[in-house]
Amino acid sequence: MDFDWTAEQLSFRATVRRFLAENLPPDWETRADGPASEMQSEFAEVFCGKLAQAGLLVPHWPARWGGRDADAWTAFILAEEMWMAGEPRGGQYMNVNWIGPTLMLFGSEAQQQRYIPPMAQGKTIWCQGFSEPEAGSDLASLRTRADRHDEVYRINGQKIWTSYAGYADTCFLLARTSPGKGGISIFLLPMDTKGITVRQIPSVIGEGDIHEVFFDDVEVPASAMLGAEGQAWEIVRTSLSLERVGIPRFAMATRMLTRAVTTLKKAGRFGAGAVEQAARAKAACEAARLYSYNIIDQRVRGVTASPEASAARVATVMAERAVGEFVVEHLPDALAGGDTMLLAHHQRAIVAGIASGAAEIQLNLVATELLKLPREPR
Amino acid sequence: MDFVLTDDQSAVVDAIDRLAQSFNEKPIDFHGFALRGDALEQALIEGEYFDIVQIPEYGPTAAALAVSRLAQAPFAVEAALSMLLRHALPGDDWPRPLAVVENGRPGRFVAQARTLIIIDGECIGLARPTPDMLEAVDSIFAYPMGRLVGQPQITPLDGATADTVRQWLRVALAAEASGLLQAALASTVEHVSVRKQFGRPIGTFQALRHRLAECAVLSGGVRWLALQAAATGRPGDAALAASHAQESATRVVYDLHQMLGAMGMTLEHPLHLWTYRLKALLSELGGRGGQAQAVAELCFEAG
Ligand SMILES: Cc1cc2nc3c(=O)[nH]c(=O)nc-3n(C[C@H](O)[C@H](O)[C@H](O)COP(=O)(O)OP(=O)(O)OC[C@H]3O[C@@H](n4cnc5c(N)ncnc54)[C@H](O)[C@@H]3O)c2cc1C
Repeated sequence: MDFDWTAEQLSFRATVRRFLAENLPPDWETRADGPASEMQSEFAEVFCGKLAQAGLLVPHWPARWGGRDADAWTAFILAEEMWMAGEPRGGQYMNVNWIGPTLMLFGSEAQQQRYIPPMAQGKTIWCQGFSEPEAGSDLASLRTRADRHDEVYRINGQKIWTSYAGYADTCFLLARTSPGKGGISIFLLPMDTKGITVRQIPSVIGEGDIHEVFFDDVEVPASAMLGAEGQAWEIVRTSLSLERVGIPRFAMATRMLTRAVTTLKKAGRFGAGAVEQAARAKAACEAARLYSYNIIDQRVRGVTASPEASAARVATVMAERAVGEFVVEHLPDALAGGDTMLLAHHQRAIVAGIASGAAEIQLNLVATELLKLPREPR
Repeated sequence: MDFVLTDDQSAVVDAIDRLAQSFNEKPIDFHGFALRGDALEQALIEGEYFDIVQIPEYGPTAAALAVSRLAQAPFAVEAALSMLLRHALPGDDWPRPLAVVENGRPGRFVAQARTLIIIDGECIGLARPTPDMLEAVDSIFAYPMGRLVGQPQITPLDGATADTVRQWLRVALAAEASGLLQAALASTVEHVSVRKQFGRPIGTFQALRHRLAECAVLSGGVRWLALQAAATGRPGDAALAASHAQESATRVVYDLHQMLGAMGMTLEHPLHLWTYRLKALLSELGGRGGQAQAVAELCFEAG
């Protein structure tokens, strides 16, 4: 075991930090709009182009697709630095983490040629059309239908909570082609297709993040299907295993905890109660970090679908919760006009146990797959 | 011991309940945090409800129940300090609304306040600010928040009076929290009873049932402690009530938001109006550490 970074990894991290220092505007940390606001999204577009030019957008992708075959550690160090900086890539992180890699595994040659290069150049935003009003944790019960009519599929239904739908060029859409879990298929659907309506949902996490998307007789060519009819479940399992530890939330949480403690110390407000809670939060962040690193280490060694990934996510939720509660209790002025960075973190942290799957579902997986407990009767 | 209200107390609590019922629904087009209840406040003024604590037949118990009931409304009104602290202030020329400025931080209703309780470390003073000394602040807390920007004349309180003020601030906090907890809980119970996933209401999952039941027990405990603290007027009871309120709220807020899923992240659903008010209460009067200190001093004998 070795808990330290190699010289190469340290140097890569330094490169990313230098890039951020040179490319984030001076007022970056005081921008008060939500993580997916218009201003952030417009900034992300320019920023991602620059990242791509510097070879820092998709270093872990194969050289064929604009990467340099770097390992999962490189991707994760990059993600840590980006997330710590307030995720200036906006919605682009989804392409980088799992949509691009999923297309590489399952896409047709034509789909790959059409969609991967713009991702590698940071020029396109995707959204993830999974959840529906009646299908959240129980994703397999989704109802949006795709009915085949000769060479086209006609799509009808509704998605909800779709992040970045207002900006996305393309949707990674799950729709039902026949009954049951095996009856779900994936469509790569351009968002400017006729019949798609997007409505933003006002939320506690700020402007522009979550949306409803309605599909009324939306027609896509059969060639827009990813993989085979009914293959969605298999493909999504792979995609989600890439996403599960995809966001290094603990990194931002740790940085925000440090920021809050520094502010409190300067103000002479770091008293006994705060000290104890800060220590607990710090340890929770560190536990989440090591849990996540363990998954990355496994990935580098070729283990992809580890049940410990669920434990890593739960540990991360615990860390976000501890830091969030610390700030609310000891530095509430930060959330009332005092510190936009801490506010932005609070908005993001509250969804840690819900977005990309409820923590309770992960807990069920920990119980079943790690503890090998018998399943709850259905 | 008698855990039943007198007829007079029941009557006034019922009257406030009836009044609050016309303010039970969040306006569907309201998509913000700080939903102010100006019309509710006006109705309370007209009914002379802010002074019920002074009427011997009602007293602090009825006032605490009133505060708790009003906190269940989606609309925020400065009722807690008016109903549970104002009577304990020295002299009688301290107009409502009242608000606390704790160590210079923004506070609930500060921008609307006509009387400020200014806490500076161990010292407490009172002030009557003019509107130009106050400023509204945008925040994620679902109360109208404000801060003191001018320098009003402060009347310092002697140690004993400051202790009394601290005590009633704790009672007010606990009574308010008790109402917020009940409302947040009721809204979650409703959600998990009707929301179906995996072919059944999610409220049938034991993973949620036990947590929700614990939340209910915590919330009920806060209610009893707040009522006892109001009724006995004992400083230790007040410290226990505030301590249990902040301890419970920290956990309940997390659990309830988990159970609502993404729906609880929307500003269309009212849950945040109660949970983001609870968040504002968590830091007050020194937070859990401050309450623990008070409990240690007031509820355990000196070694
Ligand atoms: C900020 C944000 C962004 C999102 N972005 C996207 C997106 O881009 N694309 C997309 O498709 N979706 C997105 N989602 C949706 C997200 O995937 C769902 O919110 C999540 O899967 C939970 O579904 P739900 O909200 O319907 O909650 P429900 O499924 O209704 O569950 C509510 C709660 O019930 C409990 N519960 C449910 N099932 C069980 C069980 N079996 N055992 C124990 N407890 C259970 C959990 O506590 C859960 O949190 C986003 C959500 C958020 C908050």
